[in-house]
Amino acid sequence: MNHTMILSWVTFIYFASFVLYLFRLISGKEFWGRAASFLAWVGLAAQTIALLLRWKNSYDLGMGHVPLANLYESMIFFAWAIILIYLIIEWRTKSKIIGAFVVPMAFLAMAYASISPDINNRIAPLIPALQSNWLTSHVVTCFMGYAAFAIAFGCGLIYLLKNMEKGDVEKPAGFLGRLPALATLDTLIYQSTALGFVFLTIGIMTGSIWAHYAWGSYWSWDPKETWSLITWLIYAIMLHSRFVRGWRGKRMAILALIGFACVLFTYLGVNYLPGMHSYLQA
Amino acid sequence: MSLKKNSLWSFFSSVKLTITLLALIVLVFIAATFLPAYEVFQTFTKQLSPGAAKVFLFLQLSDLYHSPLFYFLMTLLSLNLIICSINRFPALWKQYKAPHFPEPAGIFDSLPQSQIITGNKEISKIKPIVASCLKKNYGSSKEADTERGYLFYAERGRLSLFGVYIVHLSILVMIAGAIIGSIFGLTADINIKEGESVNVATLSKGNGIHKLDFSVRCDKFIVEFYEDGTPKTYRSDLSFIKNGQVERQGTLLVNHPISFDGFRFYQYSYGAAPDIKAIVTYTTAGKKGGSMALAAGDTFDLPGSKARGFVLRVEENIMQRGPAIKLRIISPKKDIQFWVFQQLDQLIAMNPNLLTEVPMFNPGLFTPFVFSIDRIEQHYYTGLHLVRDPGVPLVALGGLLMIAGMIIVFLMSYQRFWVRMKQEGAKISISIAGWSNRNNQQLQNKIDYLCRRIKEEIKA
Ligand code: HEM
Repeated sequence: MNHTMILSWVTFIYFASFVLYLFRLISGKEFWGRAASFLAWVGLAAQTIALLLRWKNSYDLGMGHVPLANLYESMIFFAWAIILIYLIIEWRTKSKIIGAFVVPMAFLAMAYASISPDINNRIAPLIPALQSNWLTSHVVTCFMGYAAFAIAFGCGLIYLLKNMEKGDVEKPAGFLGRLPALATLDTLIYQSTALGFVFLTIGIMTGSIWAHYAWGSYWSWDPKETWSLITWLIYAIMLHSRFVRGWRGKRMAILALIGFACVLFTYLGVNYLPGMHSYLQA
Repeated sequence: MSLKKNSLWSFFSSVKLTITLLALIVLVFIAATFLPAYEVFQTFTKQLSPGAAKVFLFLQLSDLYHSPLFYFLMTLLSLNLIICSINRFPALWKQYKAPHFPEPAGIFDSLPQSQIITGNKEISKIKPIVASCLKKNYGSSKEADTERGYLFYAERGRLSLFGVYIVHLSILVMIAGAIIGSIFGLTADINIKEGESVNVATLSKGNGIHKLDFSVRCDKFIVEFYEDGTPKTYRSDLSFIKNGQVERQGTLLVNHPISFDGFRFYQYSYGAAPDIKAIVTYTTAGKKGGSMALAAGDTFDLPGSKARGFVLRVEENIMQRGPAIKLRIISPKKDIQFWVFQQLDQLIAMNPNLLTEVPMFNPGLFTPFVFSIDRIEQHYYTGLHLVRDPGVPLVALGGLLMIAGMIIVFLMSYQRFWVRMKQEGAKISISIAGWSNRNNQQLQNKIDYLCRRIKEEIKA
């Protein structure tokens, strides 16, 4: 089996896992949750193998490079990182509820990568500017950050959904009652945001070290650079309003949504503006 | 203290200001990425009233990152950060210097039952047990005998109180580095033809030229492509010459800059120099004649005849048929023009009637001379970008500080533990309490662990 085949299967597995997480959420039966996370683990393992195969394949084609060099590859890595971080959180919190909100994001990323006509999934050779070890550390740290923010976004959505019904008071029974406690969600939003913030910070730094070696300037106000800084500032505002002004709950959830919108714009929207990073377009 | 009452001071020491400023900066950035480029602006502002155009130009809406508005916001932000830090310092220092004893009031008052251990050993026996347990986990411990009982104290991570300061300092360090770079830095470009050397650079943004104290020679430039035509390597072999001596030689690649004399050199672009040359040989009646390097516009004499040759064109690849030159040869009897193709044999193999169909493609048209092309000498020039940025070390230092600070802020905390032993009738009760500046879960884990350890030690 080649890596493209495996990746199509992985897309399907993530979808199935999402459906099972939904069953778990609606029925409240632990069985579905276990099945769902089993599938997610299987998908993660398969995807890891596919990424390694693709990596090896690029060497066989004589242009060996880590599979993190174009939009398709970054999208696949994004999905991988979302599932990885999610499964770690699931394993630590023992709660299988937020899977229903997070796993579909990985599925969407995979599906978008393989379906969108703008995205080329061929292994392409690296132009000289991309031939740098900083490419790997830059993309890995950025997308680990994005994935952590995706999870904060998922938790923020659940928080608002739960909050819509009855304000900040807990409501015991029913569908909403099965969602995690508001306090738990608040902690999860904070923790994943903090994790994402550290990764994003390192991601921006490795990016500017790379720019320093490649272009002779660690910062050039390229739209993508600027938008990564906007995203960073939004999350900095979010963390400060918690640290200093003690914001909790709904406001943090809303900021998590705004922050993730910035992440998506930095990642995808900016490509429609001209700039150095526009190599990602093809 | 009068300083603190000053209204300007209190304005700058508010965190609301920080959040407002950060939000404003975000808005400026959003505007900057969406506003059109300078050229578009000029045509646009011309249609407005002169007043509006002036405002637009003053705010530098086409380059907000270098506009007075942005500098103003950054100045306010830096002041805000500095003043907040100064303001907060005394309280922080007090925390840092807080005495071990007495313990904070009431810290033992509402302990959960799990943090109270009872036993029936003597206090004097238990003291060394607790002391060694604290010592094992926290390096050292202090003790004191008070009327409230016998107290132990241990702590960890006191310096982490300054984590926030490190992060905020790192931001100021980076801003300082950026300012130094923009004042004392310099960026310029040079194009060097293979084999030549250059000692002046064109400053970026049309600021004139900069004369270097040394010259740079391009010994060779190479561009390689992958099979699908994507560029693979741009490579310049450079020599740096100072006072007539080659001081350094190096290979410059994209992503691998070379430093020399305070400048860093970057491979930026390349191009073909216009002076393409063909190495042309000819035979006279089968006998080998001379070899000449010819560029367009050159003339040459053909020995043994009164003819004079003119090179009309030199092409690296004409109509996908490979290198070719067009010659005109004038002798007293003739004036003819013809093409000489390097790959004539292949062309004839594809079309055997070529020379009868197109006599002009016959390189032997001027008998008895038959011309051929040995090779084409195409010179490239390499485009180098050179940068001097004395702010880089500061920015890098700022980056390291920020990462270190973030690790402290998010992963470490100042944790203090007090253990109190009290005789209660025949029994002795040991209470374990803790305090931390953040991350209560971690503190709780540590306390639980301490309780378990002390219980085990007492049993043993
Ligand atoms: C974007 C630049 C930043 C600015 C302008 C800024 C500014 C401020 C200000 C003015 C305060 C209030 C200090 C006070 O309580 O008096 C503060 C607090 C704080 N900042 Fe920042 N900050 C920035 C970035 C960061 C970053 C990147 C972190 C990352 C960890 C951070 C962590 C904190 C923390 C933890 C506090 C709360 C301190 C406390 O516990 O009292 N800041 N910041």
